[in-house]
Amino acid sequence: MRLVELDARASAAGLFATQSLADARALVPNLQVREIDRAFLAASFADLADWHSCASPLVAVLTDVSPYGDLGLDIAGVSHLFGGESEMLQRLCRRLTGLGIEVSGAVAGSIGAAWALAHFAPGQVVEGPARDALADLPVAALRLDDARIAGLATLGLKRIGQLYDRDRKALQARFGALLLLRLDQALGQVEERLKPRLPLVEHYAERRFAEPIGLIDDVLLTAHDLAVRLSSDLERDGLGAQGFHLFLYRVDHQVMTLSVNAARATRDPAHIARLFSHRAERLGGEYDAGFGIDMIRLAASHTSPLEAAQVGAFETRDGAADLDRLYDRMASRLGPLAVVRSKFVDTHIPERAVKLEPVLAKTPDDSRARPDPALPRPLRLLPAPEPIEVIAAAVPDGPPRGMIWRRVRYGFLRASGPERIGAEWWQFSGLLAPNRGVGEPPPAAKTYVDGRFARDYFIAEDDGGRRFWLFRQGLYQPEAAPAWFLHGFFA
Amino acid sequence: MQDVARQHSLSALRARIAAIEKRPLLAGAAGSDSKQARHPARGWVTLLAPPAGLLHEVYADEQRNGSAALGFALGLAKGLLTPERPALLMLQLAHAAQDLGLPYGAGLSGFGIDPEALLLGRLANLPELLWAIEEAIACRAIAAVIAEVLGEPKALDFTASRRLSLRAASGGASVLLLRHGQTREASAARLRWSVTPALSLPPPFDAAAPGSPRWQVTLEKGGLPQRAAAGGNTILVDWTEHGFAPAVDDTADHTEALPRPAPSGAAPAALGDRLSQAG
Repeated sequence: MRLVELDARASAAGLFATQSLADARALVPNLQVREIDRAFLAASFADLADWHSCASPLVAVLTDVSPYGDLGLDIAGVSHLFGGESEMLQRLCRRLTGLGIEVSGAVAGSIGAAWALAHFAPGQVVEGPARDALADLPVAALRLDDARIAGLATLGLKRIGQLYDRDRKALQARFGALLLLRLDQALGQVEERLKPRLPLVEHYAERRFAEPIGLIDDVLLTAHDLAVRLSSDLERDGLGAQGFHLFLYRVDHQVMTLSVNAARATRDPAHIARLFSHRAERLGGEYDAGFGIDMIRLAASHTSPLEAAQVGAFETRDGAADLDRLYDRMASRLGPLAVVRSKFVDTHIPERAVKLEPVLAKTPDDSRARPDPALPRPLRLLPAPEPIEVIAAAVPDGPPRGMIWRRVRYGFLRASGPERIGAEWWQFSGLLAPNRGVGEPPPAAKTYVDGRFARDYFIAEDDGGRRFWLFRQGLYQPEAAPAWFLHGFFA
Repeated sequence: MQDVARQHSLSALRARIAAIEKRPLLAGAAGSDSKQARHPARGWVTLLAPPAGLLHEVYADEQRNGSAALGFALGLAKGLLTPERPALLMLQLAHAAQDLGLPYGAGLSGFGIDPEALLLGRLANLPELLWAIEEAIACRAIAAVIAEVLGEPKALDFTASRRLSLRAASGGASVLLLRHGQTREASAARLRWSVTPALSLPPPFDAAAPGSPRWQVTLEKGGLPQRAAAGGNTILVDWTEHGFAPAVDDTADHTEALPRPAPSGAAPAALGDRLSQAG
């Protein structure tokens, strides 16, 4: 085991990364060690990055060197809100230091230069080209891997300035295109963009609080106020939105997000606020304000043009709009999957021919997939066909005379069928096999030929008038009796 | 002449009482003309197309008969669809899907209901289901809410059903509660039906095949018109492409019944004794 990360006191004691744990323990007997959980660190760092979206809308985690640890903010156009670039840098760093986080930062015209300065000459604000500021920094500041840094060191190239006047072709031949790319990015000759963590929103409204708030009711009241402001903002641009996101910035650098979706574009503040209150009811124990929330932002996404609607006098009552509002309310309170519609899929296999699709994620219908009205189909379908025992038919391929289902015996008086539904041999997988085990290999193409996955469907009516839809899996074989399943009920 | 005036004042009084009680008037309960009254099943015809805004309970005495109850409820709901109210909502608890079966879109169109019109709500628990019913009947585009409830849950007591009944009356959408079992609890439902499947009439050209749905429907609670009540409160109903049709004995005169497929009368001899109603 080796050391990966150390704090300042450990480095002061002479420990270093990549040192073996046994050596480190020999040097410092009372060393506190924890196993590194990179996924957790990356996730918490991403949370920290999201929280910084209260400072700038464009926040990214720079993952070129490590999956966490480097935070990038595009502060073009926002720094004046914090009293200038250097004041903003100091305030952000001070806030993190106050939380016990070790931080160093820099402001520069390119991502590469800012990264280099933040790591090797922190606290600077460099305006314009960073050529001179970077010249004295070690080549490691160019976000290179260890092999390249070592290779450059063997040539005596230790500072970035030494690379400026080198023959570019020779450098590329020896160290690959990445070195030149990083150099150009740092000097601002090749453009590099941040990959923002949160989608950029054009329309949002936000409110900061002098004292952090904690109650969900206060949050919802604020959401309503913000919705009114956002709505007038959207109305000015003639837009409506389908997605609304409430970002709650906690004082302890966490962001909670509540999102609701509307079935059709809207900008009705009362409706938006109601969706959030339904969504909040579904939160239950998930809601945790921690030490309080000091900023709330309401953002709109999926905007589309929305004409001004007539309300009050001469209002047209549109049933479809009512229905959409009902979907919104139900989906926000019960979850997006609660209300579904039947969507037909172009396949013969009954349980796959109808898909339950959330009404909020409606996709266009496939006209070829409409079921053939001449085929009898049950009113209710069992999601998974249930195995039954049948009382053998008079003729091998005929309908059964009775069955035992859920330990009850039924005798059939009438039956019709069979309707044969073959396996879709062109799909090449045994989806038609209800009893297929999990690890079993998908059947090869030739198994479709012998009819093992063909189903013969029968409609059978018992002496009580109950009408069942049942099927036989596979054909009659001399060696093995085929399996029977109950699949649905007619009215 | 005096008779007509009496009829008018009676119906005005009925309307006032209905307004006080906040329940819609049953059309069949009002006086009907003499020609309609002649047929014993005519009262049922109006009753099987009840007005909107009522709370119904549709009972299947056994869980395995649940699809007959669903079929009957869908039949009632189909009559409530209008261009202004084009949608039906069916609510079911998500974990009951395998026990009862899910409404099947491809089968709905064969049954005579546009699958586009039926939305399915899958809820996690009963409080959510009751909440969803109330939300849905407040919506002006929903014609009826069909909610399937297993067992006799505490949450669905008289207070809850009274609440639903009042909401349905003010919202204008009907609520059809699908229940299973023999026990009947106190409820504020305006109409309570009990549905059991009945042996169907075979289709004309295949005596061995099952025919179109047929149910034995009992009205256990609710205003049965007097003339229909004379024939008992149980009736055999066929579901045809035109809607409900009372299935009457072949011996009786049924020229006034709604159109229905002609009986073939060619039941297998061995089954003849069991097919009394098929003739």
